[in-house]
Formats: sequence, structure tokens, C-alpha cells
Amino acid sequence: MDSTVISDLLVGGILRGGMYVLMAMGLSLVFGVMRIPNFAHGEFYMLGAYFSYFACTLGGFPPAIAIVLAGIGGFVCGALMEKVTFYPLRKRSRGDWIMNSFLVTAGLSFILQNLAQALVGTDFKGVPQYWGGSINFAGLSVSTDRIVGFLIAMASVAIFWLFLKKTRTGNAIRAVSEHETGAMLMGIELNKIHTLTFALSSMLAAIAGAALLSIIPAYPTMGLQPLYKSWFVVILVGLGNIQATIIGGFLVGVIEAVSSFSLGAMWQDVVSLSIIILVLLVKPTGLFGKKMKV
Amino acid sequence: MLKLCNINAGYGKLGVLWNVSLEVNEGKFVALLGPNGVGKTTALRTISGIVTPSQGEIWFMGKKISGLPVQQITRLGISYVTDDGCLFSGMTVMENLLMGAYTIKDKQKVKNSLEKVFELFPRLAERKKQFAGSMSGGERKMLAIARGLMLEPKLMLVDEPSLGLAPKLVLDVFKTLKELTTIGVTVLLVEQNVNTTLKIVDSGYVLEQGSIVEEGSSQELRENDHIKKTYMGIA
Repeated sequence: MDSTVISDLLVGGILRGGMYVLMAMGLSLVFGVMRIPNFAHGEFYMLGAYFSYFACTLGGFPPAIAIVLAGIGGFVCGALMEKVTFYPLRKRSRGDWIMNSFLVTAGLSFILQNLAQALVGTDFKGVPQYWGGSINFAGLSVSTDRIVGFLIAMASVAIFWLFLKKTRTGNAIRAVSEHETGAMLMGIELNKIHTLTFALSSMLAAIAGAALLSIIPAYPTMGLQPLYKSWFVVILVGLGNIQATIIGGFLVGVIEAVSSFSLGAMWQDVVSLSIIILVLLVKPTGLFGKKMKV
Repeated sequence: MLKLCNINAGYGKLGVLWNVSLEVNEGKFVALLGPNGVGKTTALRTISGIVTPSQGEIWFMGKKISGLPVQQITRLGISYVTDDGCLFSGMTVMENLLMGAYTIKDKQKVKNSLEKVFELFPRLAERKKQFAGSMSGGERKMLAIARGLMLEPKLMLVDEPSLGLAPKLVLDVFKTLKELTTIGVTVLLVEQNVNTTLKIVDSGYVLEQGSIVEEGSSQELRENDHIKKTYMGIA
């Protein structure tokens, strides 16, 4: 391999990985704070894409505003979804929370996909371009939309990270994920934190879907791929470890880029899954995972 | 200040506390003593709202608190330091302490509490940036107590601070708790270490099989035959 191929693969992998980070972070957060294995995470990605599509076409908003609107839409939908499903479930469920909440997310995913199909149909809804054009970068020509999408992802991740680390509410979210009883004893309102966490996670997914709209058009089942990818990332680095998803996202992105180049695109999932299996054989908690009580 | 009236409590169908009544007066250092597994921790969990009593009432400063959710009881000024500390181990000492003051919005107040806590535990000031999970057992105890103080509690429930500590450290912790009562915090301490505890508290209750069997000032309890025989090994 010469150096252009390597830089090509690296850039491609990192651009891909940025989106995985954005998706996986929300997934990991929801698991860490609420112990919900969220299999409806991809549907918020789908919602984000549709929101952005309608904001662009019907609303006529510029791309940046459309993406922000999609993020807000994702936040609101996430909050509603949490209040309608997990909040009542938490009140009634005693044991088996992980299994029960998993089933709820699977059902949610099914409902949202079919709702989208019923309301807007199965055809692709996309925009030809957000910003258009391409940028020369390290000897490569990369489309502007990809670069901007990546920058949006990184900015969202950074802002979100700062929010978790520096604000009182962000710290409360981390406290709940560290020790729920402890957090309760500090006077933290668990219900509020849970709703906020789920809403934020949905917002991140919606931003990802919206930012990629010009590359991947919206359709009802578009959420499956990113859902699987974010699960790859989260399982690879360890469930609930939000910091590590940043490394994991890029890692999976680069692994995929390299394997699709050297073996063909259809092998990329095989390769990344095999690597995950190998890692789990050696370290069942994931690369950076801690021992967990389930 | 705190009053438990005929409390029955437990977990599901398993009853642990039977007809427990006790009273803690303002500014006092009160101990709840007894051997393993008699319901001392359950008593604290019931006061703090983690466990809801199946019968009886709990009053705190003229307000009925039994049945209230944990967060509200905390906001009323009851701080519960559990035996395992319930620390946020992936967060730093400073972050843990700030979480302790989560209910206090006034930044100046938080700053004052921080200063007070660091004065009380200079060790923690040195280790502000360290992760709670990487500290020694004694330091974790200190942090748990310090974090409990951050919310400026009126009443502090402390569960077995002596657990897993070297005897010298136990005395230090007890002395710190005693100091707290002099600055206006009332303390209800749960302990197995009867001998040491009775030397330092004002009064105590002895819990056996989920019921209060003895109560009185520490002086009275120390001279009580049953306690001498069972807990101090003096016939």
C-alpha cells in the first residue's frame, strides 16, 4: 500500500468513525444511566434524517438550521418516548429491568419504523447536497458535506462532553450512572435525570441522521445499520463507558475502511464482528470495560 | 427533632423492624447499637426513605416524613452516610463533594461548606483531583462523611463508619462526628462497636432482633447488666 491509499483509508475511516462516536455515545449513556439496552436508538437517527429533510424541503431552511431543528426534534421525541414508556415501566418493573426495557425498545423501534412507512412511505427522501463541492485535504478530494458532517459530529460530541463534565446537571447524570442510590441520597431527582438522559441521547442520534442526509437519504429502516454499528462500538469498548466510545467509534470506522478496501465492502461487518468476538474472548467486559453487576 | 413511632419495616414479605420507636433530640449524638443483622441499617434506610415503613410514622422537625421519596427527605436536611459510602467512584473527590451540595443553589454557600469540610478533613483537600475509587478505605469513609456534610444537614445518619477501619482511625472518625454535634449537626450513629461508641455518644438505643431492647444515656447503658454481659464481655 502506498501512502495515498493509507491516508485515504485513514481519512475515510475517521470520517465514518466520527458518526459512530456520535451515535454510540448516546447509546452508551442511556445504558450507563438508565440500564436500558436501547434497540430503538437507530429510529431516532431515522427521525433526525426525516426532520432535516422536511425542514429543508418543506420549510426551506438552510442546512445548518435544519440540522439544529432535527436535533431539537430528536430531543423532544426522546423525552416524550421516555415519559410514555420507560417512566411507567420503571414504576411497575421490579426484577429483570434490562430484559423488560430491551423488549420495550424493540417494540418502539418496530412502531417507529412502521409509523414512518405509513406516514411518509418507503421511498428515499433525500437532498442532493447540503453545501456541495469538495475540499482538498491531505492530497485527497473529500466532499464538503462529509467534512462538515464530521465537524458537526465532533462539535456535538465535544459540547456534550463538556456538558457532562462541567455542569451541575451533567455531573448529576454521571452521578446517577455511577451510583443510583448515592445519587438519590444527594437529592437528585432520578426521574428528571432519566428523561433528560434519554432525550439527550435521542438528540445526538437525530443530529447524526440529519448531518448525513445528503449522503444517506431518509427511509423507514435506515436506522438499523447505524444501530448495529453503535452496538459494535459500545460492546467493543465496554458498556456504559462513555469516554471509551470516542476511541471505539474511530477504531470501528478505521477497521471498516481498511477491511472494505482490502477484502471488499461486504466483508467489513464480518471483520469488525470477528475482532469484537476476539476481544470479548480475551476481555469479556470490552476493551475498557469495568466489571459490572447486572 | 427526629421521632420514629412504632415503625414496622422490611423488604417485601420479610419483616425486619418490629415496633421500633426512638427519638433523637437536636444537637445530640445518639447511637443505635446492636449485633449483625438485627435491622440497624434497615432503620436508617427507613428514615432516609429508601425503605418505606409498612406501619408507623416518622416525624422530622414537626413534619411527617414517612412515605416521602428519598430526594425530598434529603432536601429537608437529612443526610445519610451509608456503610459502603455510595461514592461515585469514577468521579473525583471534588466532584463527589460538589454532588453532595447538589440541592444547594447558592454558590457562596457551597464554597463555604467546601472550606469547612476541607478544614475538617485536610486529607481530602490534598486529594481533590483524585478519583474516589482509587482511595483507601479510611479516605473513602472520610469522603462519604464529608460529602454528607456538604448539603448542610440538620441531621446526619451515619452507618458503621468503623467498618473496615484500623482502631486508631475509628477513634478519629468518632471524634470528628462528635465535633459535628458541637457545630449544630445532630448525629444518629449506627454501630456494632458498642464499647468505643458508648464512650463518646450522649445516649443510645440497643436493637436486637428488630426491636429496641434497651435505651438510655451512655452512662446508663454502660452500667446496664445486659449490655455489660452481651457486648462488653464483663459478667
